[in-house]
Order: sequence, then C-alpha cells, then structure tokens
Amino acid sequence: MGIIIDYSPLPGLEKTGVLAPMIPVTFKHGRYEFSTIALVDSGAEAGIISTVIADKLNIKWRKIPAKSGFSIGSNFLFHPVNITSTIFDHNFTLKINVVEGIFAFKCILGRRDLFKRAKICFEGYKNQFEVIFRELN
Amino acid sequence: MKQIKINLVKLLKGYKPGWVGISPDFKKVLVWGKTLDHATQKARKIKEKVYYFPAGESYSNFVGITFYGNNNRL
Repeated sequence: MGIIIDYSPLPGLEKTGVLAPMIPVTFKHGRYEFSTIALVDSGAEAGIISTVIADKLNIKWRKIPAKSGFSIGSNFLFHPVNITSTIFDHNFTLKINVVEGIFAFKCILGRRDLFKRAKICFEGYKNQFEVIFRELN
Repeated sequence: MKQIKINLVKLLKGYKPGWVGISPDFKKVLVWGKTLDHATQKARKIKEKVYYFPAGESYSNFVGITFYGNNNRL
C-alpha cells in the first residue's frame, strides 16, 4: 500500500506557488541515528547529505577520498559512504554522498537510492506524490 | 491510504537561522538550536522521534526551482 505525501511549500518561495516533494527519512550509521526531511529529486542520480549531517552520524568523511561531481551550476567535492536508512518502516542500505559546502537542502534522495526501492508517482496536478515500496523477500 | 502533510513554511515561520527538531506527525517544532548540535542536545529528553531540519534558509535560489522565482525568470 502506498503513502501519499503532500508537496510542501518552501521558505523564500511562498509567493511563487512553488512546492517541493519532501520525505521523512532516518539514517543509521553504527550506533548513530539521525532523522530529517529530504527532498525527493528525480533529477539527482544519487543521494546527498551535508557534512553537518555526516558529522551527526559520526561518519569520518574527511578520511574518505573526495571525488569531484558536478551539478548544473558548479562542481563540488563528495565522499561516498554506505549507510542504512529507514523510510516508512522500510530499511535499506544506500550509498550516499557527503557533499562539502552545500546549502539550502541538506539532504536529497535520488534515483539510485529511493527510486530503486519504491515506485514514486508524482501527481503535480494534485500537489502530492505517492510512495509505494517494492516488496522484496 | 496513509497521507502525510509536511508544511515547512508553517513549521519554520518565526525561527531564526539554525536547526529545528520537528515532531513525528510534522505538526510542530519541538526544539530550536543555533546549531544542529544545540538542537539535538535540547531534544535529548524527548522520547518521540525528532526530525531535524535547517531553519532560516531561503530556497529561492535553489537551482531546481530558480526559474520560478520572481527575480529569476528566463
């Protein structure tokens, strides 16, 4: 059974009518746990978290060799790491990238993580999206 | 079918830059801290799950949605 989530308005964009698909997620790394609300981004290949969140999860990201990535406007450095995540009682391991110097969204889930685990149905005309997790035995 | 509403504008309204801890039903802010460490420390005694989110950010320049901003039309 799916879960429907209404798109959220965003600070700074109240007058534009722009809304964003946001999803609650809990990350676990060893005995450290951190829950946040992530942007669901179908244009992102992989998920990202900020260094602040990585620190909270006790991820020694400075010791992980940095790789260079790019987005539409700039390049960035990232450190890939495997962590466990929980979304609506569904647990799975994902490779997430700790990105240096990001602002605004501190956590984004993309195609390689959430989209491989669940069917995501965006219904922009209703300002909502539905998440239906695959049943994997 | 379960339906969830998350209204970040309503939740974050009035909070200075920092981090907030949001209740698991996404209806109220439980704690605010100038840094994430401050916010998590304040939330230590809270037994329910707390979802942390940055406060005081403006998303108007985020690249995925910049084109819709009042000052950023193509």
